[in-house]
Amino acid sequence: MLTTLLNLLEVAVWSGIAALGFGILFNIPRSTIFTVFMLGFAAGFIKFTLIHFHIHIVLATFIAVFVIGIICMPIAHKIHHPPVVFCIPPAIPMIPGYFAYETVLSVMNFLFMEDNSTKRADLIDAIFTNGFTMFFILISITIGISLPMLLLRKSSVKKLGD
Amino acid sequence: MDSSKELIKTVDLLLDISSVLMVSGANTSRVNLSIDRFASALNFKASCFISHKSIIMTLYEEHTTLSCTRVKNIPPHAINFSIISAISKASWNAVEERWTLSQIEREIEIIKKQTRYPKLVVLMAVSLAGSGFCKIFNGDYFNMGVAFISTFIGLLIFQLTHKEKFNVYLRIYFASLIASIVAATGIIFHIGENPQTALATSILFLVPGVALINSFTDLLENNIINGMVRFTTGLMTVLAIALGLFITMLLFQLN
Repeated sequence: MLTTLLNLLEVAVWSGIAALGFGILFNIPRSTIFTVFMLGFAAGFIKFTLIHFHIHIVLATFIAVFVIGIICMPIAHKIHHPPVVFCIPPAIPMIPGYFAYETVLSVMNFLFMEDNSTKRADLIDAIFTNGFTMFFILISITIGISLPMLLLRKSSVKKLGD
Repeated sequence: MDSSKELIKTVDLLLDISSVLMVSGANTSRVNLSIDRFASALNFKASCFISHKSIIMTLYEEHTTLSCTRVKNIPPHAINFSIISAISKASWNAVEERWTLSQIEREIEIIKKQTRYPKLVVLMAVSLAGSGFCKIFNGDYFNMGVAFISTFIGLLIFQLTHKEKFNVYLRIYFASLIASIVAATGIIFHIGENPQTALATSILFLVPGVALINSFTDLLENNIINGMVRFTTGLMTVLAIALGLFITMLLFQLN
């Protein structure tokens, strides 16, 4: 139990670092550095905890990103930065890089290297499984992050009106 | 100053602000929101067509026939969230404290002069992010080291080719190719437990995350043209990355 928790925390810390790295690439304001790290940490922790309890990676990613999108709103008011600035970087470590890699690898093997027809059928299976998992994870990231932002924008415009 | 000159000056300033926002990676509705705020602070109304490469804007006063339409080309995009945040804050202050034209001009000049993080800091941070990715995908510390080095070299190539003004997709392709070649040596020499994770993560620093997320928010808000443009840009970037990875796999005959 303790080792699982420690492993989860370790992965979460690294996803916080990944979020921060991308934040610095996107030149986030210096005062949001800590927030971006904590949000990346929280997103990673939620995602990997859910995966640990056998929830599918697509749903786990969606929930993690959606939670980040929601808690961005009160934080935006507190630290006086628009939510885009610090809620996009924590979503970046969710990108399904490994599935993308497996898809490209299977496509290459299918096209250029494999002649055996049973193995070719396996490769088609791999292309579709990895490709669609990647696709759905990307969709869940974008929807999870933009839905709360759309809801927030409504209240922001209202304030300008009066 | 007579009123038509002031109008031209204002529309130029608003075009400048929206161009800076587009370059920094704001989505279309945020650009519109900022323009509306600044225009209302100066007692004008603005209507504009925003696209990826240029902005057309008409500025007018509600009760007069006076209006001015201008077009501005947008320079190549370079994501900068500090500028988005600073302009957003300035727009709030401009509305609340009724800033004058010259006040806004001065503030925008200050915002534009803001420095980015030093190149070395960016390199280190992104390389650390690369090794963080490697950990996320089940790599051990050796794999993370390989991911760190390959991300570092890839990003270095990407930054250096920026000065030479190469085509951006060509730069992405070369960065992806070289980063993945460096990471593939990890597979050949069996460094660490899952050397393929290092290869998979070595190219992730190029991923067009902001373009894709912005494209979806634009599409959801019915800014279809900009959404499609951003999606296509993201797709082209992904294709360039995948091509680099693909060539590496072919060169090293991985399976």
